[in-house]
Amino acid sequence: MKKLEVKHLTKIFGKKQKVALEMIKQQKSKTEILEKTGATVGVYDASFDVNEGEIFVIMGLSGSGKSTLVRLLNRLIEPSSGDIYLDGKDISKMNAEELRHVRRHSVNMVFQNFGLFPHKTILENTEFGLELRGVPKEERLKLAEQALENSNLLAFKDQYPSQLSGGMQQRVGLARALANDPEILLMDEAFSALDPLIRKEMQDELLDLQDRVQKTIVFITHDLNEALRIGDRIALMKDGQIMQIGTGEEILTKPANDFVREFVEDVDRSKVLTAQNIMIKPLTTTIEIDGPQVALTRMHNEEVSMLMATNRRRQLLGSLTADAAIEARKKKLPLSEVIDRDVRTVSKDTVITDIMPLIYDSSAPIAVTDDNNRLLGVIIRGRVIEALANTRDDAEEEQERG
Amino acid sequence: METILQRKLPVAELVEKATDWLTDTFAVLFNVIQSIGNFVMNGITDTLLFISPFLLIVLVTVAAYFLGKKKWGLPTFTLLGLLFIYNQGLWDDLMNTFTLVLVSSLISIIIGIPLGIWMAKNDVVKQIINPILDFMQTMPAFVYLIPAVAFFGIGIVPGVFASVIFALPPTVRFTNLAIREIPTELIEASDAFGSTGSQKLFKVELPLAKNTIMAGVNQTIMLALSMVVTGSMIGAPGLGRGVLSALQHADIGSGFVNGLALVILAIVMDRFTTAINKQGTSQQKGGKVNKIIGLVAVALFVFAGLGRLLLNNQSAAGGKTVKLAYVEWDSEVASTNVLAQVLKQKGYKVEMIPLDNAIMWQTVADGEADATVSAWLPNTHADQYKKYKQDLVNLGPNLKGVKLGLAVPSYMSVDSIDDLSNQADKKITGIEPGAGIMKAAENALKDYSNLSDWQLVSSSTGAMTTSLGKAIKNKEDIVITAWSPHWIFAKYDLKYLKDSKEDFGTSENINSIARKGLKSDMPEVYKIIDNFNWTQDDMQSVMLDINNGTSPEKAAQKWVDKNSKKVNSWSE
Repeated sequence: MKKLEVKHLTKIFGKKQKVALEMIKQQKSKTEILEKTGATVGVYDASFDVNEGEIFVIMGLSGSGKSTLVRLLNRLIEPSSGDIYLDGKDISKMNAEELRHVRRHSVNMVFQNFGLFPHKTILENTEFGLELRGVPKEERLKLAEQALENSNLLAFKDQYPSQLSGGMQQRVGLARALANDPEILLMDEAFSALDPLIRKEMQDELLDLQDRVQKTIVFITHDLNEALRIGDRIALMKDGQIMQIGTGEEILTKPANDFVREFVEDVDRSKVLTAQNIMIKPLTTTIEIDGPQVALTRMHNEEVSMLMATNRRRQLLGSLTADAAIEARKKKLPLSEVIDRDVRTVSKDTVITDIMPLIYDSSAPIAVTDDNNRLLGVIIRGRVIEALANTRDDAEEEQERG
Repeated sequence: METILQRKLPVAELVEKATDWLTDTFAVLFNVIQSIGNFVMNGITDTLLFISPFLLIVLVTVAAYFLGKKKWGLPTFTLLGLLFIYNQGLWDDLMNTFTLVLVSSLISIIIGIPLGIWMAKNDVVKQIINPILDFMQTMPAFVYLIPAVAFFGIGIVPGVFASVIFALPPTVRFTNLAIREIPTELIEASDAFGSTGSQKLFKVELPLAKNTIMAGVNQTIMLALSMVVTGSMIGAPGLGRGVLSALQHADIGSGFVNGLALVILAIVMDRFTTAINKQGTSQQKGGKVNKIIGLVAVALFVFAGLGRLLLNNQSAAGGKTVKLAYVEWDSEVASTNVLAQVLKQKGYKVEMIPLDNAIMWQTVADGEADATVSAWLPNTHADQYKKYKQDLVNLGPNLKGVKLGLAVPSYMSVDSIDDLSNQADKKITGIEPGAGIMKAAENALKDYSNLSDWQLVSSSTGAMTTSLGKAIKNKEDIVITAWSPHWIFAKYDLKYLKDSKEDFGTSENINSIARKGLKSDMPEVYKIIDNFNWTQDDMQSVMLDINNGTSPEKAAQKWVDKNSKKVNSWSE
């Protein structure tokens, strides 16, 4: 069931649009067109459709036209040409009155910097859409409070946006859109202004929410990981043009062209070249300070059975297994007596193929250290195998094409 | 072969023509505006004056206390400042000035905010309006006064007109700026939820822009205040008149007091608007105080207005008002005050309007003022008389045998204008540029070959007498444009220079002129002005009193009391 259909949508800013259109047909770059004509290509010939209840992610680097594209969908920016069908009705041909109706009832938006009104309380912000619709005060209060309740913000309803943290503000932005009960949610880099931890939380929340409300969501991001996490399908944009549309799997495994390949590799393959790309943060115990109980508690919390042992200067001394720690606790020994001092180390520039044989016959992780024997990270088996698998695939493809 | 660069373009003529055309075409509209404006503003002023000054001072102080977050600084200053103004006898002027500023500011806001919104919404409008605003702010305010008088006559209405032109730009600019400064995302959010234009304006744009707009309004109020002095040149009543007359008489003390009163008013108004703005934006229930203060003010005003109307109706309009125009020369201050005293004794209300000479003539010709006793004929004001002759009635001389000419201190060796060569830096110290004697002096510079490289420096009557005093003190050369009767001849040892070419006229009289129709409207007044005449000695005695520090009113009163016989003969 197609909810939203976009056909040949184009937006060119500035003058000399005809010339610019000609140039873009000849595959000239955005910069070249700008220099020659002074016109900026926002979006060129974008066609895609979004199914009912799916999260459709539009991804691209900054300047790729993704924010323009999302604004074309609700006509905050007027398209130069092309059509946008919502349930078969062409948004791009609507008059002001019809468009207002669509914006009030069907399509709502969440903004990168939250777009909350600083002079209104959280509750007033949340009921803003309903207020514009002319919903009676009683009713819109109920709906807005319900929406805030759903995002656990009801306690803050009389506060002003400036008194809330970023994550809370964005939840208000989301609640404001949902209070309207729209059919489609447009989210323009909604989580980009938040710090990584909150960002992950918000992604989870959005997925939970999607389970419950089943909205059609068009989600804009420049972050491939975010796209892969939440997108049912992903469209990748460059210079205003859509390069490829597909599931995360399709984009990763069958990149349509070099740009997509590079874009995806940026995320994956460059990280597999040397030890420092695949090492993860080490879990350590400082044996001059910690006793066996502290070490065991840490293992329990981190859900691991082994820690790297260092001194205060973070220099590597060995590894500590859970068994050794338990033994030390029984016999009241200091940790320095029970650690395994035989740890394999590599430097951060060691190439992955050299690490392979080392890790093959050791179940313990390999430590990555610098010239002063300070511990930088550890390499675990899984990462190596994954990295190798990727490079193999690439090599095979090279041969097939070669 | 004449190029366009060598020929002067007739810009001045075009502007004249355009102004004349506007004046003729919209005469009815301008008159309606003028009557409404006068009615409204006099109503406001009279109502404010009807309220006891002490009650008003107390109320304003209380309002300052609540607005200023219950700190003591502002209310104390307000109380002391207003009491000081009252003590100096400037309360009526203060109320007049306040009305002028209030109305100018309100009109500026009513025009300015919508204009600013329009500018913010439309780039083309912005491109058009911005240069106009620059023009309005940089054009010297005196330039507006001329068309203002042509359109709206004299008094408070042209004062408001000039103030609005001068004070409008900040409100427009700040409004435009404030709305353009709102983050795009908020505007997008408002659009994305489907707001109509007016919903966006009232729910998002104006609330967010409010602070900046208020800053603009504050600027507007201050600029309107600064125009008060300029506006008084065309008859706008209030504190500005005091400042202006002080300038023309070089009277530093009264100039300072009037100026100080303006400063006090400015500070109080500035602090009030700032406080009102702060209250509205604080995220507590601060707006309440504003509302209460506003309601109290309006209620008091309405109540006072009703009271005034009731009392007025009971005491069936006192006397009729006679408007006497005059120029702030010492001679005319004396004669106009004497005539005003006489008319007051007859039960008339007298409004004395100090104006610039050229405007004074125009005012009587237009019927804006009833009469003036300051017409120097046949030479000094020959130009004006020629221009307005058919629109006024010449009632003949009220003082005969006045003299005009160039005068020098007796210690200088020159005796006639022909003797002048390089004395006094080749400068003639003159008075206001619009005065008739200045015209005569310009002619003299052309006629006398020895004056071909001399300069006529215009200033004001007061500045001229001050320069004279200074020069005599330092035994320096000085040549002044002088006329008698004048107290300088009583105070200093001066002599007129012989005028062989008779540029300054031979026999000159001061005449009385009246508007057409005065005879049928107010026969008694007409008769008194027609009969009004006195001698040089009479005038000089009043002038000396004034110059020695008596107020013009008291000096006139003294003379009238002494010369009751002469005075009575005028009304027979």
